[in-house]
Amino acid sequence: MHTHFSYQLIVSFLIVGITLVSCKKDDEDIIDPAVKNSVSIQFENRVGDQKLVLGTPAYKNASGETFALTTLNYFISNISLKKDDGTVQKFPNQYFLVRQADAASQVITLKDVPSGNYSEMSFMIGVDSTKSVSPVSERVGALDVTSYGTDGMYWSWNSGYIFLKIEGTSTAVPTTISANQSFAMHIGGYGGGWNGSAKTVNNLRSVTLPMTTKATVRGNIAPEIHLFVDALQIFNGPNKISLATTNSVHMPAAATPIADNYKTMFQVDHVHNDKQ
Amino acid sequence: MNRLSSLKTGFGGVGLVLGLLACQVEEPEAQPQELFQQPANFPQPVYAVDQNRPTAAGVALGKSLFYDGILSRDGSISCAECHNQAYAFTHHQHDVSHGIDNRVGTRNSLPIQNLAWASDFFWDGGVHSLDLVPIAPIENSVEMDERSANVIRKLRASATYPALFKAAFGTDEINGPRFLQALSQFMLTMVSGNSRYDKWVRKEPGGTLTVEEMAGLTAFRAKCSGCHAGELFTDNSFRNNGLFIQGSNDEGRAHVTELPQDRYKFKVPSLRNVEKTLPYMHDGRFYSLEAVLNHYAENVQPTENLDPLLQPKSNSDQSRLGIPLTSDEKRQIIAFLKTLTDDQFLRDPRFAIQ
Repeated sequence: MHTHFSYQLIVSFLIVGITLVSCKKDDEDIIDPAVKNSVSIQFENRVGDQKLVLGTPAYKNASGETFALTTLNYFISNISLKKDDGTVQKFPNQYFLVRQADAASQVITLKDVPSGNYSEMSFMIGVDSTKSVSPVSERVGALDVTSYGTDGMYWSWNSGYIFLKIEGTSTAVPTTISANQSFAMHIGGYGGGWNGSAKTVNNLRSVTLPMTTKATVRGNIAPEIHLFVDALQIFNGPNKISLATTNSVHMPAAATPIADNYKTMFQVDHVHNDKQ
Repeated sequence: MNRLSSLKTGFGGVGLVLGLLACQVEEPEAQPQELFQQPANFPQPVYAVDQNRPTAAGVALGKSLFYDGILSRDGSISCAECHNQAYAFTHHQHDVSHGIDNRVGTRNSLPIQNLAWASDFFWDGGVHSLDLVPIAPIENSVEMDERSANVIRKLRASATYPALFKAAFGTDEINGPRFLQALSQFMLTMVSGNSRYDKWVRKEPGGTLTVEEMAGLTAFRAKCSGCHAGELFTDNSFRNNGLFIQGSNDEGRAHVTELPQDRYKFKVPSLRNVEKTLPYMHDGRFYSLEAVLNHYAENVQPTENLDPLLQPKSNSDQSRLGIPLTSDEKRQIIAFLKTLTDDQFLRDPRFAIQ
C-alpha cells in the first residue's frame, strides 16, 4: 500500500509537471506587440563578389572597365518593416547616412520595434521631398547641411541632398576630361515643386526586400538584418554605365539611369535572431 | 519709428494711445520691441517669421557672423565683401563678384534687403529658403571656398562666439541650424521700406514726388510693372528679358530645373534702391539705368524663351521686340526709380559694420 501510494503520487506529480511545462511553452509563443526591442540593419557594401575596399583598383564593370572606388555614401530613410500578417511598422523621421569610409555608419538601429515576425522590409534611398524642403531647424543629425565637411552630401547651389555619391578612378576615364582619371557621380533631385514652382526630376527610389528568414522581434530577441549591397549594380544594373562616357554626374536629369540602377543593388542576405 | 508715429497719428488721441500702451503692459507675456518690421504698404512676408523671430541677441550674433571673415577659408572674405551697405548690400562697380584669392564668379551679387518677401534666392532661384542661402557663398570655390562644417568648427573654437550663441539660443552649443538661423535673423531685420516713394504711398511727411517723378511712376506702371510688380517691385518670377547671350552662356533658371522652357530665364529683381545697386542684370553688363532702359527699348533679342511681355502684340503700338519707350519716358522712369532709394536703410547703424 505504502509503495502503491508513492507510485500514484509520482504519477500525479509527473502529470502536473507536464501540464506546467506545456503551459510554459504556450506562453512563449504569445507575441505581445507591447513588448518592444530594437532591430539593426547592416549594410555590407560589396563589388560583385568581392569585398569593397576603398582605393583598390580591383573591380571591373560590364563594359570591361577597371576601376577603384574612393567614396560610396548613400542616405537611407523611410524604413518600414512588414509583419507576416501584413501589418506594417513605419519608422518616420529617421534618416541615416551610410558611408563606406565609416564602419559605424554601416549598421543602423531601429528602436522600439513591436514584437512580431517580420518578413519584408522597405526603405527609400535618399531624403524624401517633404524633408528636403523642411525648416533648417528640423535638419539635425545626418541631415545637418553644415555637417559634411569635404565629403559633401548637399547641393548648396540647388537646395537638396545628394542621395548617393560614388567616386573613384578608372583608366577608362579620358585624361582629356580628368587628368587623374577620376570620376564622380552625385545623384540627387527630390522633384522640385517648391512654392508652386515647376516639378523637376525626381530621383528618389524605394526598395522592398523580402526576408526569407523572418526577423522575429521578441523581448529577448533583437534581430539583425544583414544586407549585401552590390555597388557593381550602379554600373551594371538595367542601364549599362560606361565610365568612358559617364564619369561626371552632378545634375538630376543625367543621374536618373544611375538611380534606376542602384535601386537594384540591395538584397537581404540573412537575418540573425539570436536570443539576448 | 516712422511707422509708429504714423500709427499714433492714425489713432488721433493721446488718450487712446495711452490706453493701448496700458493694454500692452497688462499682457501676460509682454513682447520686446519687434525687430522685424513689416512696412504698412508691404504684403505678408513669405518667410515664416514666427519660426525664427529675430531677437536682439540673435540679430547681434547674425550681424557679427555677417561681418566676419571666419566664414571664408582664409579669413579674408566676409558676407559684406560682396554685400556692402552703401550700395544696398551689393558689390559696387563689380560686374561679377570677386571672392577669395581674387577669383571671379559669373554673376552679379544681389542686394540683401527685404529677403523676408523673397520666395526663391539667387538669380536662378536655386535655393528655396533664406536659411539655406549662406551655405552657397561659403562653399562656392570662387566666393568663400570654405566648408560649412569647418566654419562651425572654427566658431566653436573661437573666444567670442560660444557666449554669443548662448545669449541668442540659451546654451553655448554651436551647430548648423543655429548658425543659419542667426544669419537669417539679422537678414530679416534688413528691411528697406522708407524711400520717398514709400512715404508718398503711406502719405507720410516727406512723401512728395515731383511732376517728373509722377510722370515716371505713370510710365513705370504702364510699361514695367508687368514684371516689377507690387510694392516689392518684383513678381518673384523668372523670365528671359532678351539679353544678348554672351560670356559664360549662363542658362539661368534651367541650371537648376533642367527644363528647356527655363533656359536663359533669370529672377526678376526688386527695384528697391536700384539707383545704388549698379551694375545691372545677372552678369552686371549694364553700368547705368539708362543702359538698362535702352536695352528694353531698342535692343531686346529674340532668344530662346523670350518673355511674352517683350514680344510684339498685334493690338498694341508695340511693333517690335521690347518695350516702346520715348526718351522722355526713359528720363521720367529713371527719375521715379530714384525715389525708391531708401537713405535711412543705406545708412542705418543697425546694419552697419561696427
